[in-house]
Amino acid sequence: MSELVGYIVSGLVTGAVFAVMASGLTLSYAATGVFNFAHGAVGFLAALLFFELNVGFGLPAWLAGLIAVLVFSPLLGYVLHRVMFRGLAQAGETAQIVGTIGLTIALPALGLWIVDLTAEPLGLPRADATSLPRGLGPYPPVNVTVAGVTLDSDQLLTFFFAVLAAAGLWAFMRHTPYGLRMRASVDRRRLATLRGIDADASSAMAWMLSSTLAGLAGVLAVPTLGLDPTAFTVMLFVSATAAVFGRLRSIPVTFAAGLGLGVVQNLVAGYADFAEDVTGLRTAVPVILLFAGLILLNRSGERVAGSAAEDAPPPDYLADLPVWRRRLPWVVGLTLLLGWTLTRPADDFYVSVVAQGLVLALIFCSFVVVTGIGGMVNLAQASFASMAALTCGWAFSAGLPFPVAILLGVLGATAVGVLVALPALRLGGRILTLATLALALLADQVLFQVDAFSNGTIGWPLPAFGLGFADTTDPRVRVVLLLALIGLVALLVRNLERSASGRAILAVRSAPAAATTSGVSAPRTKIMLFALASGIAGLGGVLFASFKGSVTATDLPAMAGFVWLAVVVLQGVRRIGGAVLGGLIAAIFPELLATWHVSAHVGAILFGTGGMILAKHPDGVLAQMAEARYRRRRRRLERARAAEIQAEAAATARAGVTERAGVTERAGVTEAEAVSNGAGPPPGGGSTTGASPGGGDAAGADAASPMRAVAGTSEDSADGGALFRLENVVAGYGDVTVLRGVDLSVRPGEVVALLGANGAGKSTTCAVAAGDLPVTAGRVLLDGVDVTSWPAHRRAREGVLLAPEGRGVFPGLTVEENLRTWLSDPDPVYERMPQLAGRRGIAAGALSGGEQQLLTLAPALVRPPRVLIADEPSLGLAPLVAERVFEVFAELRDRGVALVLVEEKATSALELADRVAFMSLGRVIWTGPRAEVDETRLTAAYLGVSR
Amino acid sequence: MGRQAVRLVGLVAAAALAAAGCAAEQKAAGGGGSGETPGVTATAIRVGGVLTKTSASGYSTKDAEIGARARFERANGAGGVHGRKIEFVGAEDDNQDAAKGDAAAKKLVQKDKVFALVPVHGPNFGGAAFLEQQGVPWFGWATGPQWCGTQTGFGYNGCLAPKPGAGSQTWWGNQMAELLGGSEGKTVYVQTTDSSGSKYGGKTISQSFEAAGFKIVGINSGLPAAAPPPDWLPYVNKIMTSDGGKAPDLVVSIIAGTKFNVGLYSALKKAGYEGLLSDATSYDAAILKDPATAQALEGVIAAPMFEPFESDAPEIAQLKADVEKVAPGTVLTQHLAIGYWSADIFLKILEQTGKDLTRERFLSTANGSFTYENAGFGRIQYPRDHNEPNGCGALVKLEGGTFKVAKNMKCFDNVPLK
Repeated sequence: MSELVGYIVSGLVTGAVFAVMASGLTLSYAATGVFNFAHGAVGFLAALLFFELNVGFGLPAWLAGLIAVLVFSPLLGYVLHRVMFRGLAQAGETAQIVGTIGLTIALPALGLWIVDLTAEPLGLPRADATSLPRGLGPYPPVNVTVAGVTLDSDQLLTFFFAVLAAAGLWAFMRHTPYGLRMRASVDRRRLATLRGIDADASSAMAWMLSSTLAGLAGVLAVPTLGLDPTAFTVMLFVSATAAVFGRLRSIPVTFAAGLGLGVVQNLVAGYADFAEDVTGLRTAVPVILLFAGLILLNRSGERVAGSAAEDAPPPDYLADLPVWRRRLPWVVGLTLLLGWTLTRPADDFYVSVVAQGLVLALIFCSFVVVTGIGGMVNLAQASFASMAALTCGWAFSAGLPFPVAILLGVLGATAVGVLVALPALRLGGRILTLATLALALLADQVLFQVDAFSNGTIGWPLPAFGLGFADTTDPRVRVVLLLALIGLVALLVRNLERSASGRAILAVRSAPAAATTSGVSAPRTKIMLFALASGIAGLGGVLFASFKGSVTATDLPAMAGFVWLAVVVLQGVRRIGGAVLGGLIAAIFPELLATWHVSAHVGAILFGTGGMILAKHPDGVLAQMAEARYRRRRRRLERARAAEIQAEAAATARAGVTERAGVTERAGVTEAEAVSNGAGPPPGGGSTTGASPGGGDAAGADAASPMRAVAGTSEDSADGGALFRLENVVAGYGDVTVLRGVDLSVRPGEVVALLGANGAGKSTTCAVAAGDLPVTAGRVLLDGVDVTSWPAHRRAREGVLLAPEGRGVFPGLTVEENLRTWLSDPDPVYERMPQLAGRRGIAAGALSGGEQQLLTLAPALVRPPRVLIADEPSLGLAPLVAERVFEVFAELRDRGVALVLVEEKATSALELADRVAFMSLGRVIWTGPRAEVDETRLTAAYLGVSR
Repeated sequence: MGRQAVRLVGLVAAAALAAAGCAAEQKAAGGGGSGETPGVTATAIRVGGVLTKTSASGYSTKDAEIGARARFERANGAGGVHGRKIEFVGAEDDNQDAAKGDAAAKKLVQKDKVFALVPVHGPNFGGAAFLEQQGVPWFGWATGPQWCGTQTGFGYNGCLAPKPGAGSQTWWGNQMAELLGGSEGKTVYVQTTDSSGSKYGGKTISQSFEAAGFKIVGINSGLPAAAPPPDWLPYVNKIMTSDGGKAPDLVVSIIAGTKFNVGLYSALKKAGYEGLLSDATSYDAAILKDPATAQALEGVIAAPMFEPFESDAPEIAQLKADVEKVAPGTVLTQHLAIGYWSADIFLKILEQTGKDLTRERFLSTANGSFTYENAGFGRIQYPRDHNEPNGCGALVKLEGGTFKVAKNMKCFDNVPLK
């Protein structure tokens, strides 16, 4: 019994390191959406620095620890945020996973390389297996007996610092403005920026904190782990288990799970003797738990297919080129390669390197199927290849003919692929990736350790392929054979993409629910993808082994799968070309480095920097080349188009003024004017079609073109006193232009009601005004200052507040915290709105709709902004509540706030408004005092009906 | 699955099968065959090695290069072998990665055109199949099964991974018994990690101690293989109660990696263990630099498979002199000794092969009942030692922060592995 207590106490102490590491992982994931596989590598770098400062430069341990954890780690986090994570957050899942995996390899290599370079001149100790770093505590450690368990000073310090870090983190997140901003950004990133919170700065803060935690864990763990980057990566996997049990959201649960893992490991080591016969089973306990946690806790609700719209394929930038021109580079490359190969001698070293590259390329083709086409990131590909090779070797050694053995191998890999696909049916996204990782590690640690299967460390011998006239002991034969096979796979992939199955895959990938309702079986599609991909990987694995002459369980380790994925994605995972290029690079590049006597670390570092490229160009090098060509042309086009729209808007406005002078409002005349100005709608298009000259879009359904005739101003020419104005703004989403030259101004103490039918561009106007959407052309002015280039959070800080459509609250934060995002002291709000005071500790998401809207606007009452833009404030509210909301607006107006009120329901807005602007088809078509608004205008504005 | 996709999968499979349809059995060793022998001229023999110079875990055997170079320099200084000097091109790094080792072997043979690979020393060396198929001799430390049963792979102290039924060493147990003045009633606990390689080591070594009369009270393979456990308590508890509730007389650790051993020994000492400790890897001057490590390892009996550097044998004095000549001030390590003795055996076979040197002649000399005794590594006999270890070893004890020879190199009879 005392033994059990001992295991638990001691396990809690060692679990503290996992807890610290896992908390950082959860923190950065929750705050930025990037799951950082390099978290362990950051810990390693901090530990390395600590070791060199302490042992190399002779600094006292506490000082070295302080520098490594509190100075270096946050700095590293910040730098990584700037150069990589910031871009990755927008780059889609595959790029995120690959980018951080690249870092896992590059960061330790960078550290070790620097140590290698500086060790000699500075007399530093080298960081290898013989280096024995010390802990933060006394050295050698002092033993203390706690509750009958002997612990050393390092262990106690570890526990102390872990608890300190947990308490500090909790206090930081709950009780400082920084923590509040970070949580607000996590809760609703867009809203946070509208409240003046720099979400980017919050992300930077999250990365710095997370990195500090990793650094702390690294320094605490280094006396037990040693300076071994692999050990730190293993620790990351264990920590990931804890993070998964915290559902990658809850830091307290993560922390507790980390402590629990320490205990579980001790209990398994102490009592699970029955597992002795299965080699690796006990090593694999964290992995098994990881897998179980993923399956049980993390069923992803909305994104089961493994990807989402953000992973949408890039447009085909070369679509305008003829087929022969698109294929030319590949044909030339292939011809050169074949020509070169066939003129080399049979035992040429470089031909065998190329052959090796092509084997890898064949295996990489499986990534094209499962990741490029299927959108699922699979880290177990090396295990499939290994599985096939080992099965083939086992069958061949058992006396089966070689062709049968090959078939068995490929079938074996396919079977495993189907097994891996089973969790994929439930899981999606990063969770699926982690699950494949867990399975890959399980295969490595348990399945391939079965001696009967892998023949121990010696493995199985495999013969060469014979083709009758030649066999594959000649590398030239290998090159030709592989090129043929890759060609076949390419054909297969092309046909797959064009077939009904290909459409089914795309359907499941982009909209699983819709696919299901359309009768596409998502499970069948996914299983097929995995089976196909693992079959290809298996064939590659068998060839790899046959060319090598033998296969062992360690030839294709799970870790290789990571590197492979990274190499392929760097080149472009959506096309076979990327796989071929990736394979060749993976084989040839290290050879070149070795020939030039460059440190292998440099290769690893270069490879990691690939991650930074991905942060900017998620679709890889190949796509980037095509894209660069396209972008240059497109940018010119875009500018030209925006200028055209502006000119047209200006012309229309002039036309309107002319008309006002004539006090006639006849549509035909205006259009004629516009046309004669050369910028109007094409003649003969009719009033409806002519409404969208630029190839109209968002507002297309609105047929209000006659209203253009009334585009006039009553007093806006005299808006010298305007506090905030939009000038001829053109803006839109992607290729779709929504605002087509919007002019709008508002003065202090004035309410401008912006009215218009659904789709007129009102919300887009709000977004542009608040800085949430960049403009293509035109200006935004605040008090005469051009604020067009200011980001949303800066505009908010200068007093431009947008209450967005729907409810502008952070549902995950309490009422009190919601108020604190805009106010330093929320008490005045409670005085004004006692019903909120009673609910200050309740999550805002639990409030009623009316209360939420009041909560949105209440802070503005206490600290009035200079400009308040309210987008549909009465939407979905009971009439009484809506009334109260409008009372708030009235009060704000009296206090000098410039108000822009966007409403679809015009009546109440009109009661309040001083001035009214009608929008239609992305333009303000009429502005005037409320008095001039009559039913006719309203009807026309909303229904597009002319008199 | 779409019909077209099915058809194409079938097509790919069919193509693969057709390709293999007439799968020829492995061709017999090619090795050039055309007149002149690769890497051999009238005045020189080119050789190069494959080592794990760098690895993710930090394990490095790079010192073997210095050892081999030192031995070759001496031979060259004495006029070479049959008028040919050894042109040592250095060693490639396999990063402890089987595939890289294979590539390195191919590079040496195909690009650098070496005659033989000396020294080869990496735990996961992956070039064995290629070298055997090409008939290229390779010399080094045969820790893995890829060496065993080959015609071309020469472990300097034989094959250390014999198959069941082949001879397995008893020297460790016997030397220990001699050191302790008998094994009567003494208990041994063997600790390995949770990997098939380490478990295999546990089997052979516990058999060695059994053969010498020790009583094995436990073989534990629970340690995670990937990284040292954060908490040693459960493992230590098992050891401390293994001998009917008491601690055993001797704990043997079959774990490579100072970090593991230091952790285990410190934890054992913390728990009050007072018995003996023994392992194969702690004989390393580098670990003495760190006082805490030295303290953790104090009293450990390491089991090197060569004559310790502290020995006063003339062969060791020669080794020191040779190393001092090529790399003054080098700290002598286990890996250096392995490189040195591998080169020594290679030179011996070269000498016996005679002036007319081809790989075939070299191999037939080596594999035609070749015997060579040397105080440095004991005795080697090929082809017998292609399949079993030479059965020789020494013991070194760490006392007061310095290594002392506990037992000089001695050979014992192997017993069949169970």
